[in-house]
Amino acid sequence: MTPTMASWGTYVRRVSLAVIVAVGAWLLWPRAGGEFVTGMPEHRDNGADARFVIKFVPGQQYMPGTTPFGLGEPLKGMAEVVRDFEARFPDTRVELITVPGVREYLVTQLSSGNAPDILMVNVEDVWVDVQKGWYVPLDPYLEAPNPFVREQGDPSLPGYEQWWDMFKYQAISRGKAAPDNRNYCISFDMVETGIFYNKDIFREVGIEPPATWDDWLESMAKLKAAGYIPLLMNRDSFNDWTVDLVFDQLYHDILPGIDLVQDPVREAYLEGYLDGDELCFLFEQGFFTEKDPRYGELWKHLHDLRQYCNQNLMGTDLAREFVTQKAAMLWMSTQFTYRLTGDRQLAFDWGVFYVPRFTARTSRFASNTDMCVIGGAGTQYEVSNSACSDTGDPATSERLKRVIALLQFLMVPENYVRVVNEYPSMLPNVAGVPVLPAIQPFADILERRYTTTKWVYTFDLKFNDIQARMLELYLNDGIGHEEFMRWQVDNVHAATRNLRLRKPIDMVRLETRWAELAPLRAGREGLPHE
Amino acid sequence: MSSRHTPRFGYRARFTLTCYALLAVQMSLLVVFVYVPVFWAFSKSFFEFEVGSESRFVGFANYAELLFRDPTTLPSLLHMLFLTAFAVCVRLTVPLVVAKLIHSLSREKGRYLFRILFLVPVVVPGVAVQLIWYGMIYNDRGMLNELLRTAGFEQCVRGWLSDPSTALVAVAFVGFPWVGGFEVLIYYAGLSSIPESVTEAALLEGCTGVQKFFRIDIPMVMSQLKLILILTIIAGVQSFEGLFILTKGGPGFKTMVPGLWMYFNAFSFQRMGYACAIGVCLFFIILGLTVLNMRYFKSTAELEGRG
Repeated sequence: MTPTMASWGTYVRRVSLAVIVAVGAWLLWPRAGGEFVTGMPEHRDNGADARFVIKFVPGQQYMPGTTPFGLGEPLKGMAEVVRDFEARFPDTRVELITVPGVREYLVTQLSSGNAPDILMVNVEDVWVDVQKGWYVPLDPYLEAPNPFVREQGDPSLPGYEQWWDMFKYQAISRGKAAPDNRNYCISFDMVETGIFYNKDIFREVGIEPPATWDDWLESMAKLKAAGYIPLLMNRDSFNDWTVDLVFDQLYHDILPGIDLVQDPVREAYLEGYLDGDELCFLFEQGFFTEKDPRYGELWKHLHDLRQYCNQNLMGTDLAREFVTQKAAMLWMSTQFTYRLTGDRQLAFDWGVFYVPRFTARTSRFASNTDMCVIGGAGTQYEVSNSACSDTGDPATSERLKRVIALLQFLMVPENYVRVVNEYPSMLPNVAGVPVLPAIQPFADILERRYTTTKWVYTFDLKFNDIQARMLELYLNDGIGHEEFMRWQVDNVHAATRNLRLRKPIDMVRLETRWAELAPLRAGREGLPHE
Repeated sequence: MSSRHTPRFGYRARFTLTCYALLAVQMSLLVVFVYVPVFWAFSKSFFEFEVGSESRFVGFANYAELLFRDPTTLPSLLHMLFLTAFAVCVRLTVPLVVAKLIHSLSREKGRYLFRILFLVPVVVPGVAVQLIWYGMIYNDRGMLNELLRTAGFEQCVRGWLSDPSTALVAVAFVGFPWVGGFEVLIYYAGLSSIPESVTEAALLEGCTGVQKFFRIDIPMVMSQLKLILILTIIAGVQSFEGLFILTKGGPGFKTMVPGLWMYFNAFSFQRMGYACAIGVCLFFIILGLTVLNMRYFKSTAELEGRG
């Protein structure tokens, strides 16, 4: 090889490498985003000199630029409303961002004062942190007029007197008050669950949507025999929704005798609700232990249901099994509607029904009442302590006022409808905004009464974690019923002890009330002590 | 005399001082970012506190809970021991055999090519490897289940990571066939450093093939084996990220390990003091195992009486 040929070879190799690197970089260059995905930056006029830069986590369901389930056009409603808000307030820039949906992220950001100004978290997860001053109570703003409604000059409009009046689901929204009776969230929309079912498979097997729990199990046995997966569920659906529904069916009859405290603020929505204080007291009376036959039976019903579910409860792609017609039913929330309505290649007819009730055939403790609901507030927006970072005091913070103004602006019906009704996903929670027809069945379900208690939102996160883990193990026959009960009773015991360490509970008052309600418990079977 | 030596002494002194100064910079960073957090964790293990809340002194209560009352402690330790022992077994054997096979190739080009091929997987981040196993191999519709379905073993199809009877073994098998390039390279370097005279002497004595591998090669790469052993034990005791991605310690606590439980307590349950106590215990476990290793596992130099 001559030196010239060698240098040519080197030259060709280097050029090839450079081309490969350049093409690779071009292919991998992000089209949008990173952590901060802004709405429509090309339309934004409020630049880097903005006085207020508001970081807002709208949630994946409203994040501009995303295409839910990969179907249809990218979302733009939230970006348009934010653009209008920025036009009204030229000194303000709103950054729509996504953040990791994990508590670890929130804890570190909130404790350092660097969290986004508006967060989207289930408010029950916020309650354990409200005493740390990480969240801003919203009651003063909710009880005042919404200025964007006020400026329209029509006193008959909801929101003219109080922002609160704009919420369609009043009881649910007000029922989200924390145990300190303050509201830390805006219940932006509503969500409910239902059983999506394949009508073609139902016709083929010769079954109808069931009227009772036993009918449902019998239908699922037929589906299983026909080679279908009867019901798709995951562990968290069992741990959250199913536990609460079955608990309600078994305890509803004795509620008048064990519901010791009526909350004047939340009673309209949470009628007969058992809160943490009551659960602590009832545990001391032997409820939720081996002495409580209802509690033991609860888990057996879940185990019975499990035999008709998908093999892997930790599976992450349940929708695929449903749309490919390997499974006949899928227990999912409102959002899944769009996956079906938006899929033009869907090869079957589908419908929605709700979980059917227990009867005396199912259990001697069955109350024969319709299943309650376990949905309610969907997207819940909280305002973090970052919002008042200018003065550190919510009373004097101009920045906080602007953050609140953004939420108030979003709730004005003509803005709201552009966001929530952009596609069928969430139920509107603003008076006068219509429900899209595709999700109307869920609005009907949401009219039912609310659950007796929410186990996963009552105690600490360790309680939830251990219950979920051990329930999964029990449902997969990794442990027997007795061992599961031992774990669960220990878990409730630890959770009630921790709750009492966190806040003082007036046990004397509960004891007095317990004695007063004794006549209502008289003659009831299956009570721990009586 | 003195005038001749003074400049040299001055140079040495300056050189030494410069070394100390540079070392001091590194040391101060080490103190700030490693020693201070470690001592902070030691001290906080005697407190109960959440991020953003007041802490409360509880003495040895966290340790007492961990050692005597927490039902996850013993299973977690057993899982950690199983996974660490499994990792030790495969990392001390499979890569060594691969290194020996590469070393035995007659042509240098072939040896070079295989070294490169076995090294390439090292550049894949560990998290990506875990996600590949989670999403592509152990998934309900993943490679393993589809292979079983295709082969007619439908009854064997399962959620490998969610089935209580298979989860721990499935986790241990992540990384199969365990021919990690890092270990292969270290063993290869050890095998390459065996003096020709030793190999020739072994040949003259009729020691060849498998006999040579066990009697000559393995004793001569004892230093490398010792290094891999220590690193594998430390990684095994500290590890949690793989399990966090794959199973989060489930189903139940079937794949829980102390490192992962420490993480959950710190960041999910906000029990920082308890998490610190777990961390301190892990520190002493690693320290104990390393001391045992140093004392009883002899390196090549020690075997030759040079250590």
